[in-house]
Amino acid sequence: MTSIPVWRRLDVIQPTAAGLLAVLGVMTIYSANADWARQVAWITVGAAAYALAATFDYRRLLPLAPALYGGMVFLLVAVHLVGRTALGSRRWLSVGGFPLEPSELSKLLLVVTLAAFLRRGLSLSWRRFALALGLAAPPAALILTQPDLGTTIVFAAILLGMLFLGGARPAQLASLAIGALVVIPALPYLLHGYQRRRLEIFLNPSSDPLGAGYNLLQARIAVGAGGYFGQGWLHGLQGQLGFVPERATDFVFAIFAEQFGLLGSLLLLAIFGTLLVRLLKAAAVAPDRFGELIAGGVFVMLFVQVVENVGMNIGVLPIAGIPLPLISYGGSATITTLAALGLAQSVVVRRRVVVHQRQAGYPEVFDPSAVRLTF
Amino acid sequence: MIERGRWVTLAGAVPRPRWSFRLVAFACIAVVALSALSVKLAQLQVTEGASLAALARANSVHRVVIEADRGIIYDRHGVPLVQNSPAWNLEVVPEAMPLTAAARSAEIAEVSSLSGVPAGELAAAIANADPYGSLRIGHSLTEDQELSISERIPALPGMSIARHAVRTYLYPTILSHVLGYVGPIDQGELKGLERRGYQPDELVGKVGVEAGLEARLRGTNGWADIVVDARGQVVRTLTTRAPVPGDSVYLSIDLKLELATATALTAGLQRDHKKAGASVVVDPRSGEVLAMVSLPGYDTNLFTHGISQADYERLTTDPNLPLLNRAIAGQYAPGSTFKMVTATAGLQEGKITPQTMLSCPSYLSYGGWVYHNWANYNLGNMNVARALAISCDTFFYQVAAAVGDVTLARYARAFGFGQAEGIEMPGVQPGLVPDRIWKELTCGVPDLNSDACRWTLGDTVTFGIGQSALLTTPLNQAVYVAAVANGGTVLQPTLVHEIRDWSGRLVLVHKTVVVDHVPVSPSNLAAVREGMREEINRPYNLNYWFRAAGVPADGGGKTGTAQWGGSGLDLPTHAWFVFFAPFAAPDVAMSIFVERGELSEVEAAPIAVEIMRYFNGNRAAIEAAA
Repeated sequence: MTSIPVWRRLDVIQPTAAGLLAVLGVMTIYSANADWARQVAWITVGAAAYALAATFDYRRLLPLAPALYGGMVFLLVAVHLVGRTALGSRRWLSVGGFPLEPSELSKLLLVVTLAAFLRRGLSLSWRRFALALGLAAPPAALILTQPDLGTTIVFAAILLGMLFLGGARPAQLASLAIGALVVIPALPYLLHGYQRRRLEIFLNPSSDPLGAGYNLLQARIAVGAGGYFGQGWLHGLQGQLGFVPERATDFVFAIFAEQFGLLGSLLLLAIFGTLLVRLLKAAAVAPDRFGELIAGGVFVMLFVQVVENVGMNIGVLPIAGIPLPLISYGGSATITTLAALGLAQSVVVRRRVVVHQRQAGYPEVFDPSAVRLTF
Repeated sequence: MIERGRWVTLAGAVPRPRWSFRLVAFACIAVVALSALSVKLAQLQVTEGASLAALARANSVHRVVIEADRGIIYDRHGVPLVQNSPAWNLEVVPEAMPLTAAARSAEIAEVSSLSGVPAGELAAAIANADPYGSLRIGHSLTEDQELSISERIPALPGMSIARHAVRTYLYPTILSHVLGYVGPIDQGELKGLERRGYQPDELVGKVGVEAGLEARLRGTNGWADIVVDARGQVVRTLTTRAPVPGDSVYLSIDLKLELATATALTAGLQRDHKKAGASVVVDPRSGEVLAMVSLPGYDTNLFTHGISQADYERLTTDPNLPLLNRAIAGQYAPGSTFKMVTATAGLQEGKITPQTMLSCPSYLSYGGWVYHNWANYNLGNMNVARALAISCDTFFYQVAAAVGDVTLARYARAFGFGQAEGIEMPGVQPGLVPDRIWKELTCGVPDLNSDACRWTLGDTVTFGIGQSALLTTPLNQAVYVAAVANGGTVLQPTLVHEIRDWSGRLVLVHKTVVVDHVPVSPSNLAAVREGMREEINRPYNLNYWFRAAGVPADGGGKTGTAQWGGSGLDLPTHAWFVFFAPFAAPDVAMSIFVERGELSEVEAAPIAVEIMRYFNGNRAAIEAAA
């Protein structure tokens, strides 16, 4: 049994879905006149990270969890100290000449740390609940003050999702809800000027059609212009001519939808749906609590980004700078996403497998071709 | 080992995946969220798809108008009188300009210094413009400005230089009143013309033939749908419709005759120190105007190339009214040139015959008022032809008194007086034919028996010699003398010989239009024409001019020195001369008007003689295309 090869234990659908998304992403980035070759390079690096993470036994991360947490906080502090500033926000570290966005990497590191912390027990005491919040608070605060509202939202969602999966009691979740009710009315005062403006514009986009509401309106126009079957690859007026802002990153979905229409958009969502279901399945078959929480955490991390990014592109959610995983241009995000999927694969590969063999054979002679695995 | 069909389970402790309640909850949330996004997507892309696609198109696809070339105006032989010469204008797409206020104002300052348009004016125009449209700024650029801006264009984002056509008149002063000029459409005109596709910055004919034949000359603008990117740069052109140039108009004017007429009129005015005058030469067989000159003229190119405030003020405040086209809009009493109407009425109404002899005393009294002849001695008895030839006022007082004002007015109208028979330009004035009804209607006093409202016999007799309230225009006079020349047919005057479309296809040929037949018998009209022949053959003064110029006095003419500015003895006068030739089969008729002329025989008539000198020498050339 131990000699069943790894490739037979692999979840093939998950990397296939990821690969399809990456291909669509490069096509869309190419259509946006962005640096598609560089994105291909990031994907290649990400694929290597995926392979590394998948072969690496995730259980060996457990003792490393405090170090990973420390590393995450260190990087986020470093951003505040020596990071590069662009568009009013200090987000990037230069590592060997390449820009690294630690807040992207920290999403995955948070998943791993929280999984390590929450793995014990099926329910959560109030003390451990509070500790989990305390664990997530410092990196979240560091990211919020960069300022990076989008990643902070993803952080909060990962925390909430993993607490839920980690056995948080209804009362604990309710207390978080009450906390949110207190914070949200205060939000306009806590937010930076441009973030508050984004929120106002979301609530009333036509208030400023040529200024800041322009982005939202142009993205909506691009999506709508796609119609049923789209304008065709490289033929979107809005995207091709630059009316959609941030068309390779935050608003990449809008120009995808303009070129590929409702058909393409639904297909894209279907691929994301498949990927997400595979992640949940990875959590379900995980051999231990740590693996289940890692896979579940990766699910939440991707799910939130997909929903928020698509939602803001079609104008149902406020604008927050969150990339669409594997589609948006960006090295840190692409590599982090692929590494996270690789980690989930590592969990799948190490699942407990039920081995069946064809009745006719002799149990003494192990014939892999006569073996079937089921979950 | 557990039996499972054909398969046996060899190992593995967990038979089922652990789909916990919480993982199932996640799955449900994911399904709900993605479904909600899908529904919203479908709504955007299907329900709102068409309208949002239209918005996307509106963002990037702009329709630019391609101006049609305005039709060229030629003389009757195809000599161009106007051309569309190229000019350059600065255009700006505000959206493509630098984003920062500092860079933007630096660019505006540079463009301002290069083009000469004040920076404040530029900034205001740009702020008010369609951000993605092209805004034309300032006047046409000089060649130097065009060159220096062209060099700097790469460093001036959003700026471009557009080439367009400027109307240039080849004989700007002489033909100013005939051709007129084009200018930017104003708000009032735009309201009426917008549905015919006029743009707010389009040029439109303002006066003269340019205005009268606007619909023919303008052509049909074309358009192009261009795709611009978010910076306003043109990416490609989708569809275009080529403009259709305006029609070519061949005027009835003969350019050389026009120049000869202008030369003769200018020389005549200068010799007698007169400032203003007009002359209209028509073909009495067709009604075509062969020459029309009104002096002083003005340089129409000033208007199309951008007139300065000083030039404009000089033109509008000049006491000689250079902007007034006296040929069609100057209304003056015809004086003695009207006597052919009085003679025709007297003959045709049976009050006199061609042989009737009437006296020509130095004055006659009507209603207690004394009305003088031009001579202060008795000229004896004479028939109507002689009375016309020597222009005896007292003879025609008697005829007018016998005919009566209402009948006389009827004949005047039959000859075309008092009617603005349209010609292909705006501003034609009708003149005025007075009679007792007119006086009652216009006296402005409620009591119709008051002096102001009561038509007197004095009014009738002065009406009979072309005074009273009678008014006419040089064009009107030419039409009138043409009717005398051609046997009593009042023709519609016209400036158009033919019109061809841009491909050269004939779309309109002048057809003679008869307005009215004067109710006069051939023998009666012959008596009138005989008087006109005798007039130009009078041995002294008039005939002298013909002999001196070597021009045969074969035709008919009538001088007139009309008093104006009230009633009395020593009033200022205008000099008239009307003429047709040759006598037997006239092919030319004309009116000469000299404003403030005192002696029509020596001031107005010699101008006609000079015109006839050219006409006689070039009759075949003038006829060539007619």
